[in-house]
Amino acid sequence: MEERNSSATMDLLRSETMQLVQLIIPIESAHRTISYLGDLGLFQFNDLNTDKSPFQRTYAAQIKRCGEMARKLRFFREQMSKTGFLPSGRYDMSTDINLDVLEMNLGVYEAELTEMNTNNEKLQRAYSELLEYKLVLQKAGEFFHSAQSKAVSQPRDIDEYRVGDRSMDSPLLLEQEMSTDLSSHVKLGSVSGLVPREKSMAFEKILFRATRGNVFLKQAVVEDSVTDPVSGEKAEKNVFVVFYSGERAKSKILKICDAFGANRYPFTDDVGKQFQMITEVSAKLSELKTTIDVGQMHRGNLLQTIGYDFEKWNLLVKKEKSIYHVLNMLSIDVTKKCLVAEGWCPVFATNQIQSVLDRAIFDSNSQVGVIFQVLHTEEPPPTFFRTNKVTSAFQEIVDAYGVAKYQEANPGVYTIVTFPFLFAVMFGDWGHGICLFLATLYFIVKEKKLSGQKLGDILDMTFGGRYVILMMSIFSIYTGLIYNEFFSVPFELFGRSAYDCRDSTCSEAYTIGLIKVRDTYPFGLDPKWHGTRSELPFLNSLKMKMSILLGVAQMNLGILLSYYNAKFFRNEINIWYQFIPQMIFLNSLFGYLSLLIIVKWCTGSQADLYHVMIYMFLSPTDDLGDNQLFIGQKYLQILLLLLALVAVPWMLFPKPLLLKKQHEERHRGQSYTQLYNMDESAELESKSKGSHGHGDFEFSEIFVHQLIHTIEFVLGAVSNTASYLRLWALSLAHSELSSVFYEKVLLLAWGFNNIIVLAIGVIVFIFATVGVLLIMETLSAFLHALRLHWVEFQNKFYEGDGYKFYPFSFALISEDEE
Amino acid sequence: MGFSVTTLIFAMVGLIASLSTRICFNKGPSANLLHLTLVMTATVCCWMMWAIVYLAQMNPLIVPILSEGE
Repeated sequence: MEERNSSATMDLLRSETMQLVQLIIPIESAHRTISYLGDLGLFQFNDLNTDKSPFQRTYAAQIKRCGEMARKLRFFREQMSKTGFLPSGRYDMSTDINLDVLEMNLGVYEAELTEMNTNNEKLQRAYSELLEYKLVLQKAGEFFHSAQSKAVSQPRDIDEYRVGDRSMDSPLLLEQEMSTDLSSHVKLGSVSGLVPREKSMAFEKILFRATRGNVFLKQAVVEDSVTDPVSGEKAEKNVFVVFYSGERAKSKILKICDAFGANRYPFTDDVGKQFQMITEVSAKLSELKTTIDVGQMHRGNLLQTIGYDFEKWNLLVKKEKSIYHVLNMLSIDVTKKCLVAEGWCPVFATNQIQSVLDRAIFDSNSQVGVIFQVLHTEEPPPTFFRTNKVTSAFQEIVDAYGVAKYQEANPGVYTIVTFPFLFAVMFGDWGHGICLFLATLYFIVKEKKLSGQKLGDILDMTFGGRYVILMMSIFSIYTGLIYNEFFSVPFELFGRSAYDCRDSTCSEAYTIGLIKVRDTYPFGLDPKWHGTRSELPFLNSLKMKMSILLGVAQMNLGILLSYYNAKFFRNEINIWYQFIPQMIFLNSLFGYLSLLIIVKWCTGSQADLYHVMIYMFLSPTDDLGDNQLFIGQKYLQILLLLLALVAVPWMLFPKPLLLKKQHEERHRGQSYTQLYNMDESAELESKSKGSHGHGDFEFSEIFVHQLIHTIEFVLGAVSNTASYLRLWALSLAHSELSSVFYEKVLLLAWGFNNIIVLAIGVIVFIFATVGVLLIMETLSAFLHALRLHWVEFQNKFYEGDGYKFYPFSFALISEDEE
Repeated sequence: MGFSVTTLIFAMVGLIASLSTRICFNKGPSANLLHLTLVMTATVCCWMMWAIVYLAQMNPLIVPILSEGE
């Protein structure tokens, strides 16, 4: 917090000092150097070849190779998941594989696998076709039997039909045809096959229409679903046989069959041949089955071998691809013998990087070493905070709003404590706090195991924030003890309650109420309040005032941090003409309100604070009368009002005028030296595009900017203070919900004196508590505490327009891909 | 236990917590400063909350009025 000397800076408060470094690497050790730097993970490379397209870059071919290998690996993964294999998670990095050897192996495996797949497909298709053929043979054989027996009994029937008054439509015609054809052996053609069941009715109708009813169709249902050889999927089918005469009818029928996707199979009348065909087909089927099984086993073995090394190969290909991407970012020197790399690295890592470079040179047996050179630049460096597993979650919360500008104060330091604290103010119940604590303790105890696993999205987020939730639960237990709520039930844990009946009869307890007979309850809210009629007016007043006090405290902290920022960046203007008027304005209004609240509580006066604040503005010179809290209040109020009124133009006018004067001084000094410094200044201008260039100073712009800033602060002082009232609102909602669940569910169930009703009541209570209070309320309070930090706290001092340090690191890349 | 006594207790607890953090997690001056800041902030926050609730109950303007059925 305080920087008395530069060595006693605080860890997370400001970004690590970064430096722009230039590396000149000999070409033969380039690959190894980049690989070792990737292992170290502390160097961010700048792209020096932005004007070249991806295809023009030096190592484009290598990246294509890696892309091909990645595609083959994806293909393997797909095949493995289809067969139900999982690549084994463990892999040993002991054996180092050469990239070329790997490429060759992958190619060989891929060719084998694709060949196996096509063969398998062909065999499967033949198998299903034969199966269908067998079905056709079986079913159609039955038709012919029944059809023949019907045909024999035809002549008798026809006479009967002629005599009787029956419907004389198409069936008569068909049967006549059938009988004549079968008995006279006229050229009758037949088409047999399988048609999908859902299309069978339409198939029949269209056949009749197309051939004008001159066909005989017989269908039989196949009980089990059949694998269609063309599509490879199972479908419900019917076996059909169509008898027709004539060539035209035949062509029509064939076309209709094709249109309906009905597979046709040849069929003979001869019973003996039918039997022979069936035995042949069965034999072929069993042969095919064995062949297919052997093929599948073979494929399974291949996939297993691939599966053993899959993860290792995957990682290697990813690594190589990223190395080549980085190599593409480096520029080749004119002599073509070395590569130039430029990038950011933290100052503390200089020794580590240099030792890594030396090791790479040694390992690649190069004659020349790597040159490590620090460059000076006006560009803003990336922001880097060294976080551990506890602080990284909080830093991510802050970064989600905006990454800190290089070396400005990091709100993350205070967020580590104030965020869980404000959450707990809104959540306060020590029963719920204990539940959250136990849940998050499970995550932390199983940390090592769970961090390797792949959890779902939501669980992943919860696991990542486990330390945040741990802090939140610990503070919730504390505020729960203060609010005296254990699943909304108060306990007398810290001594006796302060309130008691006025006399021994307790007659007025229900009308006027109890009185305070003992000392104040020592820790937290008096347990006697719960369930009384005047509980809500008291609690509301308490919580609202608490929210204002906490809010004013946090906002003052924010303004104080802006002072430390101004001191660090040696910005005197900001200290005198921004920090001081802001402090004066906020504290003369809302700091004074906080003071009044505390004085009112200490003295127990009945002054109306709304009245006091409003009339301080409307008629400051009026006498306060009953609302007087201390002597001299009227004069103090007039003084504070004047201070606040003075603070506003103090914030608004001096800063732009002083900035203009500063710029003119700088500009005036430079105009004499500009002649022989022209080249340098032109270069600087082109490099630092963001900074104020010479003559780029627009006074009106600066003034408008300051005006907006002032208005934002002044209006924001009121609105932000009111915004803190959400602490009251959410804590009220939480306690009301919790008491409703307790009284209307649990106590109601208890009142029935029935074990089943009690059990149901307990289950409903548990579900309601977990679902509404532990999950929904947690999320809600989390969100509101976050908003209070992002807006009300951070807009007092945070600029947040930096960019994050993203080093080239293999660990980060493997995280990214997943 | 009055206001000032409990405030003193909070201060003592804060001091003990910062000392124990210094002993258990000693990781260099900058890290120590961070830990100290965190412990101080936590102590101040907890104390503020306790003090607000205590002060509000010292001279109450409203008293509990029991509701029927208690």
